[in-house]
Amino acid sequence: MTREESSKVTRRSTRFSSSSVTVENPEPNPSHHPPTVSDLTFGEESITLDALLSNFPGRRSQILDLVRLIGPLDSPALPVIAYGDASTGKTSVVLQVFRHLNRPFVYSSCRTCCTPRILFESILNQLLLHRKCSSNGYASAKRCDKPSDFVNLLREALSNVVETLKSTKLERKSSMGKMVYLVVDHVDLIKDWDKGAMILQFLFGLYSVLKMPQLGIVLISGLSPDVYYSNVGYTDPLPVYFPEYSEEELRQIFLKNQVNKKLYSAFLDVVLRPLCRVTRRVEELSTTFSSLFRKYCEPLDDLAISPNEDLKRRLYSNLKPHITSCLNEIFRVSSRPHDGDTRGERRQKASYSCEKGEQLEMLDFHMSTSAKYLLIAAFLASRNPATLDASMFDSTGGMDNRKRKRKASEKSMEKKEMAEQEAVMKGPGSFPLERLLAIFQCIASVGDSSFGDDAEEEGEEEATGYDKESNNMMSDILLQVSSLCDANFIIKSGSCPLEGSIRYRSMVSEDLSLKVARSLSFPLSKYLYRR
Amino acid sequence: MAPSTTVADLPPSSTTDSFNSSAAAEENDIRPFFVLHKASSGSKSTATVKAKRRIESPSPKLAKRSEIESAGEEEGGHFFSTLRFKVFETVWSKIDNTIQGVLRDSNSKVFSGIHDWIWESFESIRSSGALSLSEAVRSYPVLSQPSSKQLFTALVLTRNLEMVDDLSTFEDLGSHLKSQGCHVAKLSSTDFSAKNGVGGCLRGLLRQFVMPTVDVADVTILASWYRESGNDKNPVVVIVDDTERCSGSVLSELILILSEWAVKVPVFIIMGVSTAHDAPRKILSASALQRLCATRFTLSSPAERMDAVLEAVFLKPCSGFTVSHKVALCMRSYFLCQDGTLTSFVKTLKIACLQHFSLEPLSIMLEHFCQDNQLPGEGTALLTEATMKHAFDLPSVTRNKITRSTCEMLPQFLLDLQRMPNPWCIVVLCIYEAGKFDKLRLLDIFCETLDPEARYLKYFSPPAILNSQSNVSGRTSVIRRVLRKLRDLSPAQLSSLLKSWERLTAEFSEINDKVMELHPFMRTVEAAGQRPGIPTSPKKHASRSNSKLEKELKAMTDKISAVIEFMLREYMKPVETVPFHEILCFKNVDKLQSALLGDPRSRIQSDLLESHNILHCMCCSQRGTTLLPSMHDTSILYMLAQEHAEVINLHDWYQSFKTILSPRNSKAKTTLKSKKRKDRCEEPEAPAEASIQARFCRAVMELQIAGLIRMPSKRRPDFVQRAAFST
Amino acid sequence: MGKENPAEKALNLIRGRLCDPTFVFRPLSGSSDSNYSKLKFIVSTSITEGCNNSILLLGPRGSGKAAVLDLVVGDLMEEYPDSVTLIRLNGLLHSEDNCAFKEIARQLCMEHHLLFSKMASFDENSQFIIAMLRECGLAHKTIIFVLDEFDMFAQGKQRLLYSLLDAMQSVTSQAVVVGISSRLDADQLLEKRVRSRFSHRKILFLPPSREEIDSLLEHLLSLPADSSFPSGYVSQFNEKIKSITSDTRFKDMLKTFLNANSTVNSFLKFIFRAVSSMNLESGLLSLENFKTALSSMQRQPKLEAVRDCSILELYLLVCMRRLEVKEQNSYNFISVMKEYKTIHDSFQTSDYYAQNVCLRAFEHLREREVICYAENRGQSQAGEYRPMKLLISASELHQGMRSHACCPAILLKLLDH
Repeated sequence: MTREESSKVTRRSTRFSSSSVTVENPEPNPSHHPPTVSDLTFGEESITLDALLSNFPGRRSQILDLVRLIGPLDSPALPVIAYGDASTGKTSVVLQVFRHLNRPFVYSSCRTCCTPRILFESILNQLLLHRKCSSNGYASAKRCDKPSDFVNLLREALSNVVETLKSTKLERKSSMGKMVYLVVDHVDLIKDWDKGAMILQFLFGLYSVLKMPQLGIVLISGLSPDVYYSNVGYTDPLPVYFPEYSEEELRQIFLKNQVNKKLYSAFLDVVLRPLCRVTRRVEELSTTFSSLFRKYCEPLDDLAISPNEDLKRRLYSNLKPHITSCLNEIFRVSSRPHDGDTRGERRQKASYSCEKGEQLEMLDFHMSTSAKYLLIAAFLASRNPATLDASMFDSTGGMDNRKRKRKASEKSMEKKEMAEQEAVMKGPGSFPLERLLAIFQCIASVGDSSFGDDAEEEGEEEATGYDKESNNMMSDILLQVSSLCDANFIIKSGSCPLEGSIRYRSMVSEDLSLKVARSLSFPLSKYLYRR
Repeated sequence: MAPSTTVADLPPSSTTDSFNSSAAAEENDIRPFFVLHKASSGSKSTATVKAKRRIESPSPKLAKRSEIESAGEEEGGHFFSTLRFKVFETVWSKIDNTIQGVLRDSNSKVFSGIHDWIWESFESIRSSGALSLSEAVRSYPVLSQPSSKQLFTALVLTRNLEMVDDLSTFEDLGSHLKSQGCHVAKLSSTDFSAKNGVGGCLRGLLRQFVMPTVDVADVTILASWYRESGNDKNPVVVIVDDTERCSGSVLSELILILSEWAVKVPVFIIMGVSTAHDAPRKILSASALQRLCATRFTLSSPAERMDAVLEAVFLKPCSGFTVSHKVALCMRSYFLCQDGTLTSFVKTLKIACLQHFSLEPLSIMLEHFCQDNQLPGEGTALLTEATMKHAFDLPSVTRNKITRSTCEMLPQFLLDLQRMPNPWCIVVLCIYEAGKFDKLRLLDIFCETLDPEARYLKYFSPPAILNSQSNVSGRTSVIRRVLRKLRDLSPAQLSSLLKSWERLTAEFSEINDKVMELHPFMRTVEAAGQRPGIPTSPKKHASRSNSKLEKELKAMTDKISAVIEFMLREYMKPVETVPFHEILCFKNVDKLQSALLGDPRSRIQSDLLESHNILHCMCCSQRGTTLLPSMHDTSILYMLAQEHAEVINLHDWYQSFKTILSPRNSKAKTTLKSKKRKDRCEEPEAPAEASIQARFCRAVMELQIAGLIRMPSKRRPDFVQRAAFST
Repeated sequence: MGKENPAEKALNLIRGRLCDPTFVFRPLSGSSDSNYSKLKFIVSTSITEGCNNSILLLGPRGSGKAAVLDLVVGDLMEEYPDSVTLIRLNGLLHSEDNCAFKEIARQLCMEHHLLFSKMASFDENSQFIIAMLRECGLAHKTIIFVLDEFDMFAQGKQRLLYSLLDAMQSVTSQAVVVGISSRLDADQLLEKRVRSRFSHRKILFLPPSREEIDSLLEHLLSLPADSSFPSGYVSQFNEKIKSITSDTRFKDMLKTFLNANSTVNSFLKFIFRAVSSMNLESGLLSLENFKTALSSMQRQPKLEAVRDCSILELYLLVCMRRLEVKEQNSYNFISVMKEYKTIHDSFQTSDYYAQNVCLRAFEHLREREVICYAENRGQSQAGEYRPMKLLISASELHQGMRSHACCPAILLKLLDH
């Protein structure tokens, strides 16, 4: 009764007084039943162990391990942690195991629940069979954000569930047992939360804190348990390790639900090995394969045929170039057929090498001329050492910088080495705004010739018309700088410790800046200081 | 907002003031994109200060008089100014509507494309099998093949560095999709701040989708909402309009979370990418990229839009208002060099229009052009004696020796002024058609053909053509490029060109005939083109027929260029050569310049240097270089500052300031005391030390606000630094 | 119930034993000098004499401190019904004082059927607790405060500890504070004012001796010869157990395991793992079960991580390793890419991939925590330029690559020189 009192008090204290009145509140529309304990099981009809094993090629030992550790009906279990690399089937295996066992369980993923409060509340909601809906204002059953409250509420909720399980156990023949399992996914993400170490420690200690043998805990982590030692010692759960799939297992996985297995295996013969050398993640491979397979099938008219040798050879020969391109891409952007440009499906290369010749010399987005010059200026400012500016941008417009450059480069070899390493470590150098503007004015004045006939048609009086422009241009430059910053071409890199002014840093890749320079017909390479 | 303030700095006439206010109101909405024009706020402050002074200045009627005379020579200006303002509004509204229409059309295709794409993929998702409610709101993922975690994503390339134009675009896109029944939420880079983390943007989503009071960033809410009351009939669309500015980590996290729920809540992400198409790859983490199934949509580039706008506003019958060659060049270079946003271009246009109306009394005539009724009868009724006189003082009129005697034929002039642009427009459009093969911009052609002393004609003299071929830098002249391009056009292109010309010149017989004449030749050329098409023909035949084809083509192109020349010579009458063109054509490029890149700092300085031009007081206007105490404190201080180097010793400065104010030159003082600063110096003859100090401080403060000096630093507490030097 | 097969029943029984610490530690508490009897003596005296006391139970994690305490408290509650009140706090949950006081108040309320209000302020709670202490003291009721994770209470201002121990200075109160910590220096963490009020009684928990382990095995695994099992099965089962435990191979296994981790809990895990892999058809444990359990308990995560790497990722690791060998003090992605390129240029390796693919591989390595950023500052800098460091030693890398499924030979060569 004290509990009652206290929980009433909680309600008064929490803001969701309306929501948390009833736990099993009837759904707004009568079409679906109010949730019962049986909803805690996987729901769909359970599957046999053999089906389970066949569903997950290469996961036999893990599945058997899990089944054994979770153990037969109603047998208490120590906490288990399933860990392994991304997309090695941890989550699906665990869930399917529970489907196979047909036991009640609660699943919360720390990916979706991005704060402790959401995590706790989602666990409680599931245990209390509470479902967020418009009628309760999408509120949780209980509000709790402190581990201490969570433990009390959890204990209470668990005992309720176990009671109901006991009662249902009698009349139901396919018994769910009287244990509840708690599955927490993506545990490794907690490390990045604030006070994450605390939460982790709590989560690992939960079993011993609760002292309830009716609760089985299964943690799923992308990292091996030993990385958590760094926080504090704890009694670590029983580990189940999910290694990366081997090539053969991958083949089985990809062959699993294919209509024309022969054709697809022929395809896999070609693509699987090379791609496996880059990554063995099913996710990444599958996206690549889906597009590649489309390419592979293009010459075929019916996809039901079983390919013979020379057909395979032909298919391979016209797939080959695409494979190499796929190896070097991580992000594919397709374009609609009836979209503006007809370049069709286009790959993002790291090296802007092939099939985009016209991309090379022309910029595919609009920049005002001054913005272009500013971009180049920033590029120069962060590539060249500030000491060289004077020599680069003297009245002769950097004509004589070759000589100086040679002097600079003929210093001494190992010092050069050091400098180079240094530069690589530092990345693009940072510079104050003043320097940027100074360089900008220099190159703008140098580029004026190209500038002039870029802006106007004829020489004589437009020239005058122009340089009115160019000295007025300063008024808008700051605006341009801001928009360059927005486009991530220039980033603010903190303020310099000596004078408090903000320093900038150019993030432009060399080929982009070369493109820009070409569009202005500006001799960039002449000004670039090469070590 | 710089332009608005600089409009304020025009010689103040009642009309411009009213305009200015309206203009300022109009500029408000694009203020956020001029963040870094903070400097001009300084100018504003001083301007307001000046305004205060003017009110305070003891001779209001005197100030008024000066205002009136500065307001230009027209008599009874007030009646006209109000009328002109009305006309301006009608004209501008017309232009504005045209532009809006053009922009809408330019986007509509992409919008429909996006919409189709969304629905297709949505159907594909639904066809894969509907989930029961218990499945859908369940906390654990629906297990299926790994591809089920893919998020459909549209990369909308707004091929422009600046975001200004595209904000409205994405607003429109959002409303368009909403109208099609999608659930749309719009996130901007402010929601993706590293400080709030992913919770912030999730909360933003939930508040837009579910209800405004959600305070828990929990995706399950979204899922259960989506399952309620038939929400799941429609896709969920999330628009992120400026991807580059988002904090990459947060955006990636959001993508990962949404992709976990992709099966239960089919979310479509629309990312606005303002730079290169691979921008997302630079921002997002690899794992997030992995989840995106991206499709690219490309908006029309600003240059294309610009051409469309130009065509609609100047070349199609729109409002009759037009600009001179110089102005066009200025606008063009502003567009190319300053910031290539259409918004700013429209702004420029508006300013031009505004100033045209504020400066040109006869501009009221434009009313009849824009509501194009053919009888300018009541237009002439408006012509009072004064305006008549003004009309006949117009330089174009005097140049063409039109005397008052021909006054009664003014309506006639107006009439053909009204129909004048048509052949010109047609020619320009024809050249544009020809130039399209060389990806020429209408903007360039427009600017070049506006040239009053048609320089482009000189390219038709054969030597010019020769050396045009000789020198490779083809960017000098548009017409030249067109002519050169003609030489290497395929017959098919030529015929298509002819067809388009025929279409364009349909209602203008003279050119149309010329074009028609070309058709027979075209046929022969095409015939010649057909023959070698058969692969079986022996080589030499083919070669011979090819050579024949060559000849034919050559002749053809020559004829076409001849036609172009004819068109240019006969019909390309630039507007500035026509009498009375001042009525519709805005020519004053300098005003536009100053209004556009109203370089506020230099303007503040110049204003400070001769403040008497602004506060029209008799007292200090006739002074030479001497500093009078009657002048405004700030300007006195600023002039004193001119004498110093980079740093100013405060004490010296104050001393010199004091010597100027102190009544040692008492006669000047007494003469001035009567009208100057009654309200501010109630103190006896010699202003007290305290008040001088106060005024000094106040003036220094104003200078600092105007950004002309920097306050003393820790190291040198008694020195201020000059931040601006006379430009 | 009867129809379920005896093997499963046996399995459940044993698992139940393993998961129930009180059962596990019961036999260890037999002897007179065991921690159990020490603790019980102290607490019971303080109950009977009605005096205050405070004890620290120290020992490595999983050495059964809490379990023994539970045993003691349970027994005492049977001996002295309704004169013992137990208050449990856990450093993980109640380390901050306000929440701790609230929790104490809550448990007191539950114990004495009072109304507990969540709204109560810190002061109200503490006053309430003091009052309760006095009341219980007058009623000759002992309150036992169990502070698990004791060291965490010593983190903050230690107001809880102070006020508890301070209240115990008064004659009227009658309470025992039992701190449980795995830090042997837990009492050194206390402030002076707290330490002065703390009686420095410590009970140390040592890893079990071999004999204890053997008896424990016996105690845990042997089935009771009661009617619930078919008698033949029981004897058969126990025979099997005996044969296994007497087997030298098993003894070696046990030794190796206990050398690695000697606490009772880890031992329990080991047994649990072995038992849970029991074959249900035969219904008997076998040596194999223990073997597999042992192998699954001794893991080498770093090696696993290296084995999971794809060829490209191995290349990157080797490049970084080479850079370290060249004692380049710090390196980032760009310099690694340089090294990668030089390798490619000199050896014409078949797998030379574009930079963004390498960057992705790089991120994979990072989220697998094989490598990490050298320092946290410099988020503004793009990831390519932030200095990196390897989190695995050269030998681990070497070993891992040797055991890697398809590691090209060239890489091993490159790694060596």
